[in-house]
Amino acid sequence: MSELERQLVVLGGTLDVPESPDLAPGVLARLGARRPAPRRRRIVLALAVIAVAALLATLAIPDARSALLRFFQIGGEHIELVDELPSVSPSPSELDLGLALGERVSLDEARRRAGFDLLELEERPDAVYLGPRDTVWFLYGTPAAVRLLVAQTPELMVDEPFILKKLVASGTRVESLAVRGASAYFLSGEPHVVMLVDEFGVVYPETARLARDVLVWEEDGHTVRLEGDLTEEEALEIAESLH
Amino acid sequence: MLAERARRGDERAFEELVRAHQGIAFRTAFLLTGSAADAEEVAQTGFVKAWAALPRFRSGAEFRPWLLRIVANEAHNRRRSTKRRAALALRAAATDASGGAVPSPEATVVDDERRHALLTAVNRLAERDRDVLACRYFLELSEEETAEVLGVRRGTVKSRTARALARLRAEVGDE
Repeated sequence: MSELERQLVVLGGTLDVPESPDLAPGVLARLGARRPAPRRRRIVLALAVIAVAALLATLAIPDARSALLRFFQIGGEHIELVDELPSVSPSPSELDLGLALGERVSLDEARRRAGFDLLELEERPDAVYLGPRDTVWFLYGTPAAVRLLVAQTPELMVDEPFILKKLVASGTRVESLAVRGASAYFLSGEPHVVMLVDEFGVVYPETARLARDVLVWEEDGHTVRLEGDLTEEEALEIAESLH
Repeated sequence: MLAERARRGDERAFEELVRAHQGIAFRTAFLLTGSAADAEEVAQTGFVKAWAALPRFRSGAEFRPWLLRIVANEAHNRRRSTKRRAALALRAAATDASGGAVPSPEATVVDDERRHALLTAVNRLAERDRDVLACRYFLELSEEETAEVLGVRRGTVKSRTARALARLRAEVGDE
């Protein structure tokens, strides 16, 4: 610890911080009916996908053109189309994908720590990451040259702090599909920006990165997301192979 | 094991958890909001939300950073809704050595002028940098705990800390 750091610790001890009041009575009075239940009520909010389009007319969903602002739902998925694309800083292209995804672990460690059954993958991934909100990422290729990126996220409670936000520029197409009967969306065309946003709508720009063609759907309490340089047919074929 | 009992719905175990952690929860909330009234509300709401979220608390995980994460989120929310964050100040006794207070060993290490300058520089920092310094040095959380509390990667804690320290050095020097 440097001298400056040591001085900051000392400074912390001399700050005017009031004594904590006794919070217990107030807290206990507010617990009421919010007793944790063994099987908690889940509100499926798995990945909130917010697609922002500058020009709705370029989107591949015809009825989207009738409204300036429109929401799509796939189970917990949430795609929002608006008319203004927020700026992103730092530039997504500068982001190291490996760092953005989370902690790199072995496949066995991911199985052990995930807390749910992982997807059965026909081909062993080149890298596995444990990211925020219990998301497990399977990377084929390298962070710099992604062949395929598969994400598996358990459904979240409504007050979970993180959701995934997608920012889609005008050149990105959004198509409604189905995977094993479940509603799915396929985003293709120009890359879009993906970043984390917390429950208060605060964006975490450091997590921003560019994503390419993406197929996303909800199945068995998980949101599954495929990303790569994929055609719709290829994405659906891979999706059908996962179970 | 209190957290485990509370997770199963034991209110008395949760009450013990509240009493054991209310000091650090309130201090965290105060350092992040700068207001005693806001800190009390934030810490209390944080505990209530923690109770509701306990079924998701992983068995064997550390309760303190998990709780402080919820409190930090609440503090962040409060700052956004009230659009205010008061500057931190020094205790009166720490600023007035001539007022009869016995100078503490701390006071001999960092003199008043230096402390004021340092705190002024801290108060001027960008919010995210200030939050990291508050966690690391005022709450004395580890890098790992700070990352969990602020919801960022450990590398981000390192880089923000380094950036904030560099700014402080530029303003007050590194005596």
